[in-house]
Amino acid sequence: MEIIGIDTGGTFTDFILIDNGVWKTLKVPSTPSDPSRAIEHGIQALSAEKFLVAHGTTVGTNAILERKGALTALITTKGFEDVLQIGRQARQELYGLEPAAVDELVPNEFRFGISERIDSKGRIIEKLNVAELEETVKKISNLRPDAVAISLIFSFLDPSHEILVADHLMKSIAGCFVSLSSEILPEFREFERTSTVVGNSYIGPIMSSYLGRMSEVTSQMRIMQSSGGSISVDWAKKHPVRTVLSGPAGGVIGASYAAKLSGITNFITFDMGGTSTDVSLCPGEIQLAHEHKVGGIHLGVPSVDIHTVGAGGGSIAKLDMAGGLRVGPESAGANPGPACYGRGNLPTVTDANLILGRLLPSKFAGGQFNLDIQASKNSFQKLSESLGINIESTALGVIRIANAVMERALRTVSLERGFDPRDFTLVAFGGAGPQHACELAEGLGIQKVLIPQFPGLLSALGVSISDIVRDFSRTVMAKGEGSILLVEGLLSSLEADGFKDLEEDETLGVYSVRSIDARYIGQAFELNIDWPSEADLSLESVTNRFHDIHEQRFGYCNRGAEIEIVTARVRVVSPALVPSIEAQKPSRENAKHVDDCELYFAEQPTKGKIFDRELLDVGQYIKGPALIAQMDATTLVPQGWVGVVDPYFNLILHLEGGSNDGR
Amino acid sequence: MTVDKISIEVFRNLLSSVAEEMGVTLGRTSYSANMKERRDYSCAVFDPSGKMVAQAAHIPVHLGAMTASVKAGLDRLSLNRGDIAILNDPFLGGTHLPDISLMAPVYDDSDKLLGYVANRGHHADVGGMTPGSLPLSNELYQEGIIIPPLKLIESGVTNEALLELICRNTRTPEERVGDFNAQIAAVHTGQKRLNDLSKRYSTSSLHEHMAALLDYSYNLTKAALRTLPNGEFTFSDYIEDDGLGNESLKIQCTVTLSDGTAIFDFSETSPETNGCVNTPLAVTESAVLYAVRCIAGTEIPGNDGVRSAITINAPAGTLVNALPPRAVSGGNVETSQRITDVLFGALAKAAPSLIPAASQGTMNNVLAGGINPASGKSFSYYETIGGGIGGGPNGPGASALQSHMTNTLNTPVEALEYSFPIRVKSYGVRRHSGGRGLHSGGDGLIRELEFLAVTTITVISERRSSRPYGLSGGEPGKVGYNTIVARDGTESELPSKASRVLQEGDVLRIATPGGGGWGKPI
Repeated sequence: MEIIGIDTGGTFTDFILIDNGVWKTLKVPSTPSDPSRAIEHGIQALSAEKFLVAHGTTVGTNAILERKGALTALITTKGFEDVLQIGRQARQELYGLEPAAVDELVPNEFRFGISERIDSKGRIIEKLNVAELEETVKKISNLRPDAVAISLIFSFLDPSHEILVADHLMKSIAGCFVSLSSEILPEFREFERTSTVVGNSYIGPIMSSYLGRMSEVTSQMRIMQSSGGSISVDWAKKHPVRTVLSGPAGGVIGASYAAKLSGITNFITFDMGGTSTDVSLCPGEIQLAHEHKVGGIHLGVPSVDIHTVGAGGGSIAKLDMAGGLRVGPESAGANPGPACYGRGNLPTVTDANLILGRLLPSKFAGGQFNLDIQASKNSFQKLSESLGINIESTALGVIRIANAVMERALRTVSLERGFDPRDFTLVAFGGAGPQHACELAEGLGIQKVLIPQFPGLLSALGVSISDIVRDFSRTVMAKGEGSILLVEGLLSSLEADGFKDLEEDETLGVYSVRSIDARYIGQAFELNIDWPSEADLSLESVTNRFHDIHEQRFGYCNRGAEIEIVTARVRVVSPALVPSIEAQKPSRENAKHVDDCELYFAEQPTKGKIFDRELLDVGQYIKGPALIAQMDATTLVPQGWVGVVDPYFNLILHLEGGSNDGR
Repeated sequence: MTVDKISIEVFRNLLSSVAEEMGVTLGRTSYSANMKERRDYSCAVFDPSGKMVAQAAHIPVHLGAMTASVKAGLDRLSLNRGDIAILNDPFLGGTHLPDISLMAPVYDDSDKLLGYVANRGHHADVGGMTPGSLPLSNELYQEGIIIPPLKLIESGVTNEALLELICRNTRTPEERVGDFNAQIAAVHTGQKRLNDLSKRYSTSSLHEHMAALLDYSYNLTKAALRTLPNGEFTFSDYIEDDGLGNESLKIQCTVTLSDGTAIFDFSETSPETNGCVNTPLAVTESAVLYAVRCIAGTEIPGNDGVRSAITINAPAGTLVNALPPRAVSGGNVETSQRITDVLFGALAKAAPSLIPAASQGTMNNVLAGGINPASGKSFSYYETIGGGIGGGPNGPGASALQSHMTNTLNTPVEALEYSFPIRVKSYGVRRHSGGRGLHSGGDGLIRELEFLAVTTITVISERRSSRPYGLSGGEPGKVGYNTIVARDGTESELPSKASRVLQEGDVLRIATPGGGGWGKPI
């Protein structure tokens, strides 16, 4: 059966599938009011017969970003109704005169406390007051919410109270979407858990109805999760909060696929779009994070470890009070967008690229519309006059500053995870990534840049090849000899549930990955480590493993100290059939350039060549300065850089004469 | 690279990146919850003369104090390649004893001095009268070990004797060693990255850009000050008590603005006092820099160019520039907040349409310690509690947040109950505690802790009798209160600063102040 990868991220809805060993792609204008219509059009256009759709959706993401989710009520333990509002007590900006509160998903009058309490050992120290619960349910019912979230203190140790509350709610409010924190995220730290279960309820109704419509378009479908694995439609309807970063996650999976084809194992993905840039560091394999934020909302479910930098093609250049040049963080976004889109007059990074000849006015977005270079120049006029330099030098300055901002972010991301960026390859994609990749790599001391065959379709590609994955977790907080058997038993039971779930929708092989979050007693943060196999299972082996990982990550460990096991995790995986693409033999001839161009790297332009990516065969060698144009991206090969098309149609760029000169 | 308006911005990012990478290293490798989870540390880069050129500050109260640390190191020691100095003396480059600073010179490959790097972390215990080292003291000696500027590492060799002496004087030596290792690793990261920059751009280019960045911040600060009207603006407010019965200690500031110059004069402030609410000059400087940075906008590069654009006059022997050996443990956490209130109060007279009303004006420090019956071992717990933010010209104040000089995170209820013999009875917004106004002040919090074992508690708080002020006709926020509810239900008020032994089943209720309102209520 063919798998069609579909990503509804931006202006276009992207489609990709393998057809007789060759990738087949399609871009269809998106239909934001109902994304399923564009999908329907695309599937018809592809005229595939027997197929399965793998889908990355932004329906949930947009609902959170635009605060257009369901009217949601929250039930907590009495005394903790304000848990969402308080958060972690910290303000977002250190130096604002008027620090803003987070725009929460549940307003004050939709928060309810009920009398009950479970303690840290899982003992019920106050029984749930059922009479009061019935009163509360009546009040909630009168507010006519579309969804309710339940989050009681220590409910992951004993979910009986949450289940009782849910039963009463479902009996009294027909058709209401109810999520329990003990099901959605059975982990400790009440704010993070509550925020996650509220996020789930908030997007639950909208996702259910969207996925319902999609089921009419195609009956065979799975949905991408933030973690980089996909799940069934039924599971996505119950756990929609697990899908909100599906687009960016797909991009990293796609980048990883491309890199591994070319034999590259250590890489940093660099996905530069209009308003922001997503980077992810992959030392050998894709890294997971167990929490992330979307639109200021904390979500505690697994995601690909992606760091977002607030700089993109739409970032606005401006002068500050002392006459210094700044780029971002304000963005022109998609509307009005950069000045060259013809809807506004804001000077942006994209305009700078156009002025410097690094973007081709007629080749943008597959030639769907022309960019107005005169508008770009007009937007830069005032900046250039104030700085006392010409327009091209101003544009060069804007690019240098944008690259410096991204360089700073990439360094921090690498170091935070314990790595030196120089040991990595930069895999660049997204609309603007390939324009900035080489110069950014040079600043970071990175030797090699990879531009995948389809830099604008990588998310759809990643979705199409994603494994089917279920993540399970439970906080245990156990220490000493007894903890090992306790955790082993819990892991086995989580795993059995996972196998059963997956068997219901998949027949390919299934395996599981067991891990724990652990820490030294007294520490306030956890490290995730693999759980040993049964043969190797002992407190000593778990503890030694923890010391080793602690030393590797933080440079030291404390071998005399005792550890505690905080959370048990099981990831059940049904691997996807990844299409095998064969290495192609180099073509005997280099394609000729299709046109000449003028590129600015200094005040005076340099002559460069324009190549059409679709005409480049395996073995093609390109010497900068050059531009490589294709439907969804333009790659800049600066002076001093060279590029080779490798046997998998990836474009590999490096500094001329560098150790990686693959000629 | 020659200096121009574009390269300045590039170097701003490069040098900030050095400071941030030091911060990342420190956070990543530190051991204690206070540094790792609450991020109570800061890092900075300095030019060869000891002027701060870039910083990564998580905690505003560290802002102005880092330069003083480097100056003290330079004045007292002859530093060479491979040396790292340590200090915490509040009267020699420190602020209060738990904040321990490390600083070191950086050289290029031909042994030319590139500048200095420094970092400062809040250590959870440095000895003294009570666990957590924020005691209700009456002289510095009671607050813990005092470290004057000394070489912790000389020519690459650690002075183990010094390290052992310091750690032997704290209640949690192992944790201290872990955190010192992190601070040393951060120094090394900063040295390496600054050296990398000298290779990438040349030492002279680096120095030219450091100088240009200082000028640039100076100019930006001047430009921001020029937007304010000329004149003299005076405001005063009070520290309620010093914990030893001395009440209503005045802090007064006259801000004189004149065409981009600003003088902050604290001459009319009360003399230093017996209790622990005195501050060394560095804390006062931090508060002034914080206020100026809030006004100048977040884009201004945080360096000593800001400091050189303003004048601070805080006479020695006053509450805001105490002399040794005065007690200072609470100055950093409480008096710093009141200095900020006074500064904004004065600035509001100059620019009423810019400045918000007072925020809660305290950090509501709660320290608890005793023997945990579950483990038989002693435990020590410290938290600060958020409150109301003042309403401002643009809208109401936020509720339940940390304000001004701190921004540390809370400890989750479930994390707290797992680790300590404490149960949280409730943790909620204190409704209607914000002052009424066109834009009302944010609400404070109420947090109730039940102790499950005999526990010694210390509370250091303010705004228990004087309300956070409103502005432009807005009403003041409500004062906070501290109550003990004994096991039998009897309630008793606790003063703003107090230490008590509580029994199993007793509850400590802390209600934090609301923010002041802004504008006449409709």
